[in-house]
Amino acid sequence: MTHGRTRFIIGFLALPVLLYLIYVISPYAQAFYIAMTNWRGVNANPQFVGLENFRRLLDDTVFWKAVSHNLLLLILLPVGTITIALFFAYLLNVGGHGRGVGGIRGSKFYRVVFFFPQVLAVAIIAVLFQQVFRPDRGGMINGPLMALGIEPIGFLSNPDIALWSVLAVLIWQAVGFYVVLFSAGMASIPKEMYEAAQIDGAGRIPMFFRVTLPLLWDTVQVGWVYLGIAALDVFAVVWVMTAEQGGPDHSTTVIAAEIYRNAFDYFKFGYASAMGVVLFFFTIGFAALALKLSRRERIEY
Amino acid sequence: MSDIPVNGPRNDLPGRPGLSRRQLLRAAVGAGVALPFAAACATPVGGGGGGSQPSVTGTVSAENPLGVPENEPFEVVIFDGGFGDAYARDIHQPLFRTKHPNVEIKHTATKEIAKTLQPRFASGNPPEFVNNSGDNAMDFGALIQDDQIADLTPLLDAPSWDDPNVKVRDTILPSAIEFGSYDGVFRVLPYANTVWGIWYSTKLFNENGWEVPKTWDEFLALCETIKKSGKCAPFTYAGKHPFYIYETILTLAAKIGGPDVLRNIDNLEDGAWKAEPVLTAATAFAEVGAKYLMQGTTGLDHIQTQTAHNKYQVAMLPNGSWLENEQKDTTPPDFGYAVFPLPSFSENDAMPYGTLHSRPGEEYFVAAKSRNPRAGMEYMRAMLSKQGAGQFTELVSTLTVVKGAAEGRKLSPGLASASAALKAAGDNTVYFRFRQWYAELHDEVAAATGQLMSGRLTPQAWSERIQRKAEQIKRDDSVKKFQR
Amino acid sequence: MVSQTMTISRAEVRQARRVRLGPLSYLSHIALVVWTILVIVPLAWTFLASFKSEDEIFSGAWTFPAVPRFDNWARAWEQAHVGQYFLNSVIVVACSTFGTMLLGSMAAYVLARYRFRGNRAIYLLFVSGLAFPVYLALTPLFFVVQNMGRLPVIGPFIGLNTHGGLILVYIAYSLPFTVFFLAAFFRTLPTAVAEAAFVDGASHTRVFFQIMLPMAKPGIVSVTIFNVLGQWNQYQLPLVLLSGEARDKWVLTQGIASISTAAGYDADWSALFAALSMAILPMIIVYTVFQRQIQAGLTAGALK
Repeated sequence: MTHGRTRFIIGFLALPVLLYLIYVISPYAQAFYIAMTNWRGVNANPQFVGLENFRRLLDDTVFWKAVSHNLLLLILLPVGTITIALFFAYLLNVGGHGRGVGGIRGSKFYRVVFFFPQVLAVAIIAVLFQQVFRPDRGGMINGPLMALGIEPIGFLSNPDIALWSVLAVLIWQAVGFYVVLFSAGMASIPKEMYEAAQIDGAGRIPMFFRVTLPLLWDTVQVGWVYLGIAALDVFAVVWVMTAEQGGPDHSTTVIAAEIYRNAFDYFKFGYASAMGVVLFFFTIGFAALALKLSRRERIEY
Repeated sequence: MSDIPVNGPRNDLPGRPGLSRRQLLRAAVGAGVALPFAAACATPVGGGGGGSQPSVTGTVSAENPLGVPENEPFEVVIFDGGFGDAYARDIHQPLFRTKHPNVEIKHTATKEIAKTLQPRFASGNPPEFVNNSGDNAMDFGALIQDDQIADLTPLLDAPSWDDPNVKVRDTILPSAIEFGSYDGVFRVLPYANTVWGIWYSTKLFNENGWEVPKTWDEFLALCETIKKSGKCAPFTYAGKHPFYIYETILTLAAKIGGPDVLRNIDNLEDGAWKAEPVLTAATAFAEVGAKYLMQGTTGLDHIQTQTAHNKYQVAMLPNGSWLENEQKDTTPPDFGYAVFPLPSFSENDAMPYGTLHSRPGEEYFVAAKSRNPRAGMEYMRAMLSKQGAGQFTELVSTLTVVKGAAEGRKLSPGLASASAALKAAGDNTVYFRFRQWYAELHDEVAAATGQLMSGRLTPQAWSERIQRKAEQIKRDDSVKKFQR
Repeated sequence: MVSQTMTISRAEVRQARRVRLGPLSYLSHIALVVWTILVIVPLAWTFLASFKSEDEIFSGAWTFPAVPRFDNWARAWEQAHVGQYFLNSVIVVACSTFGTMLLGSMAAYVLARYRFRGNRAIYLLFVSGLAFPVYLALTPLFFVVQNMGRLPVIGPFIGLNTHGGLILVYIAYSLPFTVFFLAAFFRTLPTAVAEAAFVDGASHTRVFFQIMLPMAKPGIVSVTIFNVLGQWNQYQLPLVLLSGEARDKWVLTQGIASISTAAGYDADWSALFAALSMAILPMIIVYTVFQRQIQAGLTAGALK
């Protein structure tokens, strides 16, 4: 029996662990080494340059611009998405209630439609919105504006607006999932809690803050972590949708785009890996922070 | 029973069985911090794909001066952009086969050269012949630094396709050799001879009685007239690709201050971007940007603006001589493409009216580490024949670097106009090369110029920003430097 | 969902609602309708544009096509190879999701239910992958896959520009999430059934496949849906691993992004809209049909 057990454990673990070591762990490990070389890709003669790439990163204004955009998204993407999603989830689940709790009419339909963007690939959404935002008569928004004689809005060409366009697309896609997620969470909140609040005379808005939000806090936190990691990993929308791939004038660039550009456009693989290492520590740092902040009393029910 | 199921820690979610997200985070943080230390003893980048195969060669003879092996295939990769790829399939490849019927040609066309090919160069399995062009071209500097591009001197010294008594070297423009040389070695063949200028429709101009401006004041006056006429917008450029407009600014700068303005920029000289002529030219175009641009220009790409031009929504746009071919499907038959050189800025311009930005372009090279490099060179020799170049000119409306190849060919209106402008310019042609040498600098100039044109950067700030980037590149010793 | 459990009849609910209809209720409806429009309009607009000619696209965003141009769809399907890309995506995602679930559940099960030395370390190794940004690994990964391609016999099937290579990479990068959630799920399952089976002399392997795996079905379904969506939407990995020379192997996201670039050169926007519609419609249809299962599965996975 013991013999069979060992064989079983090894047999079941060997393949997944092997694949994982080859394709995931070894590239990450190598990346840390590459970050300390001046490797330019094509040929394999990287010279070890120590921390030179990191020193150079310090005065790379474009890179820091990318970092600041990631940080901005790290705050705004979760805040925007969660606020909107909570609002809708509450309307759909509790908003229409009479006595007791009930969803608003058509709540099922809304939940289905809101979720649409979630099943589409980000790259495809990016191409779609590139067309939606077109600044000429063919643009979905600008076309009608120009027909009315209004200046077209430079959704992707005005550097003061472009990042907001990116954020809007990201939120547009994400909301549906969190509506469904929070709905499921709200559905598991015992009705009695609401009824008790109602007896106390609470309206729907106070009820949200007194009952729903505290009981849903755990799920909201999960959402925040997911969205935070998503914000640090933004790539396809920026790379595919924006002008100059992260522009105009670097106004929408993110760390992932700078990594890709430096590696596959400038062939500065060492330098790009150094950026990757920084992103890595950002992600770890964010995870650690989320861990620390979430360490609080939970409400049990 | 030896199997005691492991109970996972479930202290985080009381009341609900299962696990916690916190557990995940804690694990991730722990492992993440440990990883760099593990990496210190990891193997360095393995091999990197240096294992390129040995190249094959054939016997050299009078008929086969480059020694192409007659039974070995090779691959031709064409950038499927403004020129399309029909010229390669229908002109050059059949021509090549007339001398080497048994050599199989694998034809690949792509719009994204770097994405398609970079991995193959990295893996030591590059195609023989590459048309490295377009927005997604590979960085020549990096390729050369890594010895990926073959020395084409044997091609220059080989007898030409048409006449065994004349070397290839003597059948092409000297500027082509200058342009294709890196550190004195000819490695890249720039095939097309591109002429830049400001394009317009002779039909539109004739109908409205507008005249080609010869001075900057006349140009501004024309813009004003067009704007007031309400018929169309005066000026546009490919806003999403500000290269189209920084090209124009730099040409004007060279016209004002002479060719050294651009030479200094290429050589990363201190203060090159802050030179007076550069600032003057930038200021001049910033004014055009503020007053005369077509609505929405900054968000449109080259095809969108060029299509607007074809629809008579805008009167003028700066472009290269590939324009006519690129637009052949949307151009009305009586449009009448024509080009004029940049107007004289003042009487004190260092260079006379008619000065053009003209340079050999559309680069081709043979991959040094490919299997059959000699076939790639032979393919170039075929391209440089009178027939290969002449038919290319006819098909894609673009002049080539082959001397006299366009003679006797039927030229389209735009090409005839470009050809005449080039003839009128004589020796007064200027060019810059940093776009190929330092891709990063190009990106920064493009980004900054987009802002200059939309009024978000002053000419002063524009030049300072670019100068800073140029200095950064100058200091970065991992980037190979070039001089001219 | 909640209303089903309620004892009040529908009519009563409606009655109650009518009584309580305040301005807030109207605002709620308006907000919901606005977001519905925000979601549907870009999709519908794309669909509309896919039937327009080039001229019609340029001249007005909201005009209807004079005649529906079905040739846009034909061009996108054939010349732009959307059909091929679609099939490739289906093949790759089907294989990689199956592989992910098989290997992931095996590993998760062993890690969750067996005590042995190194268990914790292996588990942490897997789970830590959740926090790694994939961009850091891209370059070396490229070379890893390339070197795998040099292996004797199997090399040609798992190197660069092969679906096999991409599938293995997808599996490996999906393991952290899969192992994390499934291990948790296996831990929650009762042990009694398995113990009884062992007493009856069943092997470990049999217990896993015939008892534990069916018991874990809800968890498996959730994670499968996550993986299908995640892998279907991948853009970055195929971009690096399937280069332009293997255009016939490209997946849908890559293909559409490339058509978008190409539209800039060919001025064929109508085909781009048709291609976009082709990529969007099947997903919307499949989702609408299975929406209940998908939503339940996803949220179950995330809430666990």
